[in-house]
Amino acid sequence: MDPCEVEFLSEKELVSIIPNFSFDMIHLISGSVGPFRAGLPVKVPIWLAVNLKQQQKCRIIKQDWMDADSLNEAKEEEKLSKLFTKMPSNHYMEEAQLLLNVASDDISDADRIKTAIKDIWDIRMSKLRTSIDAFLKSEGLHAKLDHLTAMEINSVRPLLPHALDQMLRIQTDGRATQSHYSGTSQ
Amino acid sequence: MENNGDVQMTAENDDQEEEEVTAQSVLLAIEEAWLNEKFAPEILPHRSDLVDCMLQQITHMEENMKRLDKEDLRLMIHRMELDRIKYVITNYLRARLEKIEKYTIHILSQEATRSSEECYLTVAELQFAKEFLTNIEMLFKTIALQHMPGNFQTFEVDTLTVKPNLQTYVFLRANDRINGIIIPGSMDEEIDLEPGSQHIIQYSAVADLVKSGAVKLI
Repeated sequence: MDPCEVEFLSEKELVSIIPNFSFDMIHLISGSVGPFRAGLPVKVPIWLAVNLKQQQKCRIIKQDWMDADSLNEAKEEEKLSKLFTKMPSNHYMEEAQLLLNVASDDISDADRIKTAIKDIWDIRMSKLRTSIDAFLKSEGLHAKLDHLTAMEINSVRPLLPHALDQMLRIQTDGRATQSHYSGTSQ
Repeated sequence: MENNGDVQMTAENDDQEEEEVTAQSVLLAIEEAWLNEKFAPEILPHRSDLVDCMLQQITHMEENMKRLDKEDLRLMIHRMELDRIKYVITNYLRARLEKIEKYTIHILSQEATRSSEECYLTVAELQFAKEFLTNIEMLFKTIALQHMPGNFQTFEVDTLTVKPNLQTYVFLRANDRINGIIIPGSMDEEIDLEPGSQHIIQYSAVADLVKSGAVKLI
């Protein structure tokens, strides 16, 4: 899947904004948003928040988990843990990317948050590569992927399933030849 | 005039309140169907019920939007949402067409064994598949086969059949609790899926669960 499609999916997540206009509730097919009252926070999907922000109709409030200190704690935890830790959002990378890009003026500490998230991503990706390597060497047939987020799964999508497909092919061919040989020897 | 239009708009919206719960759930179901179709190696049972319902919603919404003032904030927001939904629907249908073009012969022969209630293709898709096959055959014949020596002139359906690799590995998230999935290729090894848990496994082990909606591909 194209990474921008993963981003597309992440845009459904909600985020709080402070509008600078007032408007009644808007009934969308995906659910209602509003009512908007100037100066009062309201939750909207990210795609809407980004658009309103671009028109300078609102300020975006960062997600609760976008806090540099707690992200750095999460980073330390990620480093210590052998398994993947639970992320605050299934789309943490995309949400951070979208919101910090468009609303860096609304979000204090944007740079530190960005760095912390990038660090967490790097640690997790290197962990992912190591565990895939171990998984392939163990010739496993199934793996549990709890706490892996959408973008992380997508990043190994072409490679991991394809590698497993090829291994399976070699194994089945190998078995077929073996039985073929044992068949002829009898 | 404008006021009038506004009143109408809200009145209609109030009427929709009840439907809206379903419109929202239909949208979620389409998005799931889209991802399943995208990641499953074989073609899945069609969900034209969802597509038709959503297209109806879109037309309805577009009718309503005509009544809005050009400057109205809602116009832009509704248009953006519709664009998002249309993207999902077209991408879903396109994914199916790609599979039909790739596995035409296989899909048609499978479809022939299914009764009309349990068929995987919609009427239009079935027609497309048949025409596609006829056209391919025609192309082969006019370009090459008719210039071949007599015994090479037949259009050999069997040798041209492309089948999807059902053993391919897929990522999935469990919607419900599922016990005792037997992993193919193992010594009767079984696994249980917790709701919300994520896995990578061969498609053939979970194909039925994807179709029943007990798991979704991610």
